[in-house]
Amino acid sequence: MISSDVIRGYNDTMILSLLLNEPSYGYEISKRIRELTEEKYIMKETTLYSAFKRLETNGFIDAFAGAETNGKPRTYYRITEAGKNYYKDKCEEWEITQEVIEKFIVKENNNEYNKKLS
Amino acid sequence: MNTIKSYLDNMFLRLPQTDDVTRAKMELLAMMEDKYNELKNNGKTENEAIGIVISEFGNLDELGDSLGIKQLIENKTEVSIVTYEEAKKYIEDSRAIAPKTAFGVLLCIISPIIMLLLIGLRELNIIIVKEDLLIAIGLVVLISLVATAVSYFIRFSSKLEKYDYLKINPFELDYETEKMVKSVQNEDEPPYKSAIAVSVVGYILSALPVIITPLVSEVEGFGVLSVTVTLLIVALSTYNIIIKSAANDACNVLLQQGDYSVKNKTNKKFQTITTVYWCITVAVFLGYSFITNNWGMSWIIWPVAGVLFGAIKAITDSQS
Repeated sequence: MISSDVIRGYNDTMILSLLLNEPSYGYEISKRIRELTEEKYIMKETTLYSAFKRLETNGFIDAFAGAETNGKPRTYYRITEAGKNYYKDKCEEWEITQEVIEKFIVKENNNEYNKKLS
Repeated sequence: MNTIKSYLDNMFLRLPQTDDVTRAKMELLAMMEDKYNELKNNGKTENEAIGIVISEFGNLDELGDSLGIKQLIENKTEVSIVTYEEAKKYIEDSRAIAPKTAFGVLLCIISPIIMLLLIGLRELNIIIVKEDLLIAIGLVVLISLVATAVSYFIRFSSKLEKYDYLKINPFELDYETEKMVKSVQNEDEPPYKSAIAVSVVGYILSALPVIITPLVSEVEGFGVLSVTVTLLIVALSTYNIIIKSAANDACNVLLQQGDYSVKNKTNKKFQTITTVYWCITVAVFLGYSFITNNWGMSWIIWPVAGVLFGAIKAITDSQS
């Protein structure tokens, strides 16, 4: 399991990425995240819902009532144009973040660091 | 599934029931239900499924920011919760006890009636007996009625004593309970309002016999008899108002409205002022009246004290 502190900044990115394909609803998104990450990351319900709220407030996604299941209309979310732009920005940001952090990460084959760590 | 629902209910118990919070709860429940159903379909047992769903629920603190209730979540104070059953029981008990209390009050108000009746009839020469004897009979009736009333008060008001904390301590109701109490109060409103109207008219009319009788006849006996009519009207009006206001009053206690608002409850300073103020008023009334024997005038203190109290309350309210 990944520490949620690290990944928090990218929860929104994951959700937006899944919504790029088609509108979806709470459980389906959490299930897709679990499957895609091979169960390395499980998004808690409260995390997911607060991300929905945040994205909705910022105008990155829209909520709408979908088809009824178990007698209740399910809330679906769809990505907006602003959401797509935000997603692009986040992807670029991640490229840079990754590049920066990489500089400080030990690679298994880096003998110099391995010596210092042992 | 019920376990999950009550888990969620518990998590949300202390949150204010805004639209945002209600929606969050519904959405979270939907997600949890979906997950639970899928786990069950994949062959997990009931307990395993519930365990996984609850362990992956997360932390309610995360919702604070997005729901605008961050402060509330972080400053969770230990406020007691009144449950649905307690609230329902309190309203039922209040309704059940009201007729007994009302009857006790009725007995107190009419307690001098027999004495007045006998004295009045004697003045009119309808009964020709020594006045002392009539007063003795009247006193016996008066004291027995008051005694009966007091025994009523002791017996029945003690049944409501266990709810006193509702009037003293601040508490919270969950959403369902609050809805129930409000609907009880709404249903009760028309009979309550009309009961008040009837009783107020009764109180106003009750003055008429005493005012009109001396104008019509100068015979003293009629004057005394007219007082019995006045007392009877006052007694019935009061009886009516106590019975019909019981449920409404209980609802006000539960919804913490009016006299029972959280503001009043936490305002200990005002409570002290109230107690001291009325004790002093009673002391002055009794002291002055006994010393001067001027009972005919000293009652003036009550309306004066009442109006003055309103002024004091307004001043302390503006300070807090």
